[in-house]
Amino acid sequence: MTIAGFIARNALRNKRRFLLSVSSVAVSLFLLVTLQVALRELTNPINDEGSTLRIIVRNKVSLAQPLPARQLPTIERIPGVAAITPFSYYGGLYKGDEKFTSFAQFAVDPVRALDLLSDAKVPPEQLKAWIADRTSAIVGKMTADRYKLKIGDRMPFTGQIYPCDLEFKIAGIYEGTADDRNVMFHQKYLDESLGNPGTVGTWWVKASSVEEAPLITERINKAFANTSAEVRAETERAFQLGFVSMWANIKILIGGISMVVVFALLLVTVSTMSMAIRERFRELAVLKALGFRRRELFAFILAESFGLATLGAFFGAGGAWLLYRSLDMPKLTSGMFVVFEVTPQMLALAFTIAAVLGLLSAIAPMIGVARTSVVQGLKTLD
Amino acid sequence: MSPSNIVTIRELSKEYRQGEIDVVALNNISLDIAQGEFLTLMGPSGSGKSTLLHIIAGIDRPTKGICRVQDIDVTKLNESGLADWRNQNVGFVFQTFNLIPVLTAFENVELPLLLTRLSAKRRREQVKTALELVGLADRSKHLPRQLSGGQEQRVAIARALVTDPKLIVADEPTGNLDSSSAQEALSILQLLSKQIGKTVIMVTHDPKAAAFGSRSIHLEKGELTN
Ligand SMILES: Nc1ncnc2c1ncn2[C@@H]1O[C@H](COP(=O)(O)OP(=O)(O)OP(=O)(O)O)[C@@H](O)[C@H]1O
Ligand SMILES: [Mg+2]
Repeated sequence: MTIAGFIARNALRNKRRFLLSVSSVAVSLFLLVTLQVALRELTNPINDEGSTLRIIVRNKVSLAQPLPARQLPTIERIPGVAAITPFSYYGGLYKGDEKFTSFAQFAVDPVRALDLLSDAKVPPEQLKAWIADRTSAIVGKMTADRYKLKIGDRMPFTGQIYPCDLEFKIAGIYEGTADDRNVMFHQKYLDESLGNPGTVGTWWVKASSVEEAPLITERINKAFANTSAEVRAETERAFQLGFVSMWANIKILIGGISMVVVFALLLVTVSTMSMAIRERFRELAVLKALGFRRRELFAFILAESFGLATLGAFFGAGGAWLLYRSLDMPKLTSGMFVVFEVTPQMLALAFTIAAVLGLLSAIAPMIGVARTSVVQGLKTLD
Repeated sequence: MSPSNIVTIRELSKEYRQGEIDVVALNNISLDIAQGEFLTLMGPSGSGKSTLLHIIAGIDRPTKGICRVQDIDVTKLNESGLADWRNQNVGFVFQTFNLIPVLTAFENVELPLLLTRLSAKRRREQVKTALELVGLADRSKHLPRQLSGGQEQRVAIARALVTDPKLIVADEPTGNLDSSSAQEALSILQLLSKQIGKTVIMVTHDPKAAAFGSRSIHLEKGELTN
């Protein structure tokens, strides 16, 4: 027999309790890691280089208010503006989807949009076909894969925001953007279906340099000050962050739940360890009589509580890592979660929490053992 | 103090403070125990037998006085020094056996050896010898709950002697045993003192058990009455 074997034998003496305690640590840390993953997914805006160059110009009143199409030449003339296209969120329901379509459809001017979609890779002949056919669209690869779409297929939508249903012919499939899910089609097609109202949803502008982007947004805002359609221009990154701030409360909520989980976990491990050691007080006194020193008994207790907590973390956090790696999250959540990745930091967090739990739950038993003399310990009943 | 004395006790007292009242458990005891003796401690309940045994064995401390075992005053050792000393010099046998329930007979006996520097092979040999001496070599794989009370106590005796200590202390070792198991256990203790030269100190209530010893002393209200 070895010391390690002795510790393991002690930890496993009440197998059911050990299993339940390890499971409760595992389940809680699994939940904690899941919350962290979800939090990261919800609050981390897609952060590509282009998003600091691109500017979104929207109606100052609200995102839902359209902008007059005649604003285009004014913006185009503003110094520092390298490119501009209409950019209207159609928000249609794709045929077959019940309540919610997980990818967005934007109406753009294909020729103008090319400059803004520089990271999207589309074969040139597909691009040509898209520009040539006003009812055609290009589709992000993720969406194409998910719905098994190929070039030439038709995509019918029911209008949810605009009072018109649209059907696009797929002219091309793009990939290489930070989020290859969107459908891009002709603003002209949308205009015609609506009876040419002379409006667009937003303008999508490219700044000539990252440094100039803030200046340009200011210039655009000024250009339409005191007109019937005042605008609010901001970089795409700021725009995304604006969305993200909506999630701030959720972040606090998730943070709060995580704390409660950790606290409940602490209660579980503390009570398990106290019970496990209390019922062994007499044996620990015997060990002392046989010559085991206090610090050796401390080491036994620590090893046991550490072992319990880390084993829980191993199964909980490790299980989450394995599970989310092997699941097709975009498919399962209808595209709400895309990356859903357990990062090394999250694993480190789970194991750190486990280590702290192990330490904290060993404290009370260690104090108890230190305080009890051999003679007192021998008198405790089993 | 003759050199053959293994334990030398001088003016040893132990008092407990219980609120306002002082309980005197041992009152000014002086006692010599010779090497190889099988000493039995008798006396009514509460007379201080266990207390005296605990002090000699180094698991309790006197309020005043000297308790020297060989040339070491055990009352002067610190916690961890005392722990090491116990491991090397004292074997314990308890009334309730106190084996570790999750360890086999063999592992229980091996336990005190984990604190030594002996190789695994040497440990195995010593455990085997100890178990053979108590007649339980064939039960080494059994857990305590798979043994009878008498067998458990014999495993405990093997555990007490496996480190080859000078002193073996036993507090009412036959208190939980039927008479034939008690006979077996007592014979082993007697053998240890007579043939191997171990010094055995045993607390007992039973005059029949005390008859196995080579000398008997009586305690009454914390004092020796001979
Ligand atoms: N922790 C303690 N606090 C206060 N008094 C104590 C304590 N331990 C022992 N005593 C007292 O010391 C005296 C001697 O106790 P001890 O256990 O040595 O008796 P004993 O002779 O072994 O009795 P028994 O035969 O019943 O085991 C008793 O009066 C007891 O009440
Ligand atoms: Mg007693």
